[in-house]
Amino acid sequence: VSNEPTALPGRWSRRKRDIGTVVWISFLSACAGTFAIFAVMDPEALNDAWVLPWEMGRRLAYSLGFLFLFVVSLIASGLTVFMIRTGPGRGHAAGEGRRPPPEIRSPEEDNPDLDLGDWK
Amino acid sequence: VTDQSSAGEALYRKEPKIYPRQVKGRFARLRVIAVWVLLGLYYLLPWIEIGGRQSLLFDLPARKFYIFGLTFWPQDFVYLALLLITAGLSLFFVTALAGRLWCGFACPQTVWTEVFIWIERWVEGDRQRRMKLDKAPWNLQKVLRKSAKQGLWILFAAWTGFTFVGFFTPIRELGGNILSFSLGPWESFWTIFYGFATYGNAGFLREQVCKYMCPYARFQSAMFDKDTLIISYDEERGEPRGGRRKTADLKELKLGECINCTLCVQVCPTGIDIRDGLQYDCIACAACIDVCDQVMDKMEYPRGLVRYTTEHAIKHKEGHVVRPRLVVYGLLLLIIISGTLWSMTHRVPLRADLIRDRNALYRELPGGLVENVYTLKITNMDDSPHRYDMTVLNNDAVEVDLSRPLELQAEEVAGISLRLRIPRSAGQGVQNLLIEFQAADDPSIRREIQAKALLPMEPGN
Repeated sequence: VSNEPTALPGRWSRRKRDIGTVVWISFLSACAGTFAIFAVMDPEALNDAWVLPWEMGRRLAYSLGFLFLFVVSLIASGLTVFMIRTGPGRGHAAGEGRRPPPEIRSPEEDNPDLDLGDWK
Repeated sequence: VTDQSSAGEALYRKEPKIYPRQVKGRFARLRVIAVWVLLGLYYLLPWIEIGGRQSLLFDLPARKFYIFGLTFWPQDFVYLALLLITAGLSLFFVTALAGRLWCGFACPQTVWTEVFIWIERWVEGDRQRRMKLDKAPWNLQKVLRKSAKQGLWILFAAWTGFTFVGFFTPIRELGGNILSFSLGPWESFWTIFYGFATYGNAGFLREQVCKYMCPYARFQSAMFDKDTLIISYDEERGEPRGGRRKTADLKELKLGECINCTLCVQVCPTGIDIRDGLQYDCIACAACIDVCDQVMDKMEYPRGLVRYTTEHAIKHKEGHVVRPRLVVYGLLLLIIISGTLWSMTHRVPLRADLIRDRNALYRELPGGLVENVYTLKITNMDDSPHRYDMTVLNNDAVEVDLSRPLELQAEEVAGISLRLRIPRSAGQGVQNLLIEFQAADDPSIRREIQAKALLPMEPGN
């Protein structure tokens, strides 16, 4: 990853690619989700059971449903990208490249006054 | 001891399994207390009854939450939002002030892992024994110990799943259903699901959840500043590290006070070396502080080579407890909490909505009257029955005709057909009405709503 050229003509930077992917995939998921939900559910039918005191009508319900799914998808995929990008690289712990796991030794190895029995 | 150069060449190295060494001390005791208090609340609360009802019950089919004697309705959704905001802000506040206290002492991941490790230690023995057992070939002893551990883990996880479902279905009923093998499909599913999640997270994933899966750890840099409490190794005092005898002259040996026993690494549940500096893998459990203090006592050095401190303090710079971000978080918290409490204590346990009949605008009756038809949705959110009086406040001419008297049982929701008759002479077009509902036995239960009535327009207007 580190020796990838930063600017190739016509090629997006990693950040741009991340954002583009997140937005587009979230949009597609939200579309599919909106379709699926409103295919089986009529928002008008909810009017009597609605928690809100006003009736919103189908058009607004469809739009709000889509926006809601879009925002939820954006949050999910955005966080996923963030978690993967900021996570530990290959190998142990954070930071540049791989770090070996910390060295462990017997406590009393160079410390003859320590008694291992104390830390059983 | 790992050969670091050869390990670095492997493209992929499996992370070694972590066998955290048991630790005793101030912070270990605090964590034990936290585990008992938090898990005690979790496992016992559903069994405690307040006012004849389970103290904490989220009755999803009935769409009602019972929380310590209070009943919350879907309309109280705003309190849920406020609760979430309060929880988030508290986390920011505590994190800015004291770092990752949450991770080390209160996070369910930590708390349940701790119990699973207790069970593991009880069955398989201390760190050395566990490592030896894992390396040993499968023999009767190993099979017995491993299956005993798994059995206890599964039992504990199943009880956890059962308790979880007990927050959504009355737990006494649920227990009876389990004993008579008549558990419903959804209850069975969620019991197994939550039990399985507990088993996997606390038994196997453990610190991997904190390192790879938890977003909170990744956001800490946004919440931390240089006056935030962190667990840190005092490099100035400790380095250069190295083994020595208790009586050794440090100046002569050119050594700091770290004796490089690596016990801080061995007790670490996430397997890091605190001496490498602040790392986001650190869940601030303070096990390294406890063990290092013990070593320091043993060596007769002052305690606190690894300690709770701040970045400013460790660099001998001036620290500030009160900082702008703390003041902002604190003020916001204060406002939201007091606002929520005020509004909760001033809740009116009555809701009324007037929904116009969609089929007709109005109907003209003989005798110069005009009739508007509505459905009155009225909810008695109180836990005792009430009779309500309905009055149109701003128009004396309106005649009210209800399909049934406004008498509602405790927690009843009623849809009542309502006709308002208005003399034609009262006006034209839209009439804004102000309608009051008031409990006959308790004048403080009172709600005003607005409604629209229609009268015919005179021709020519």
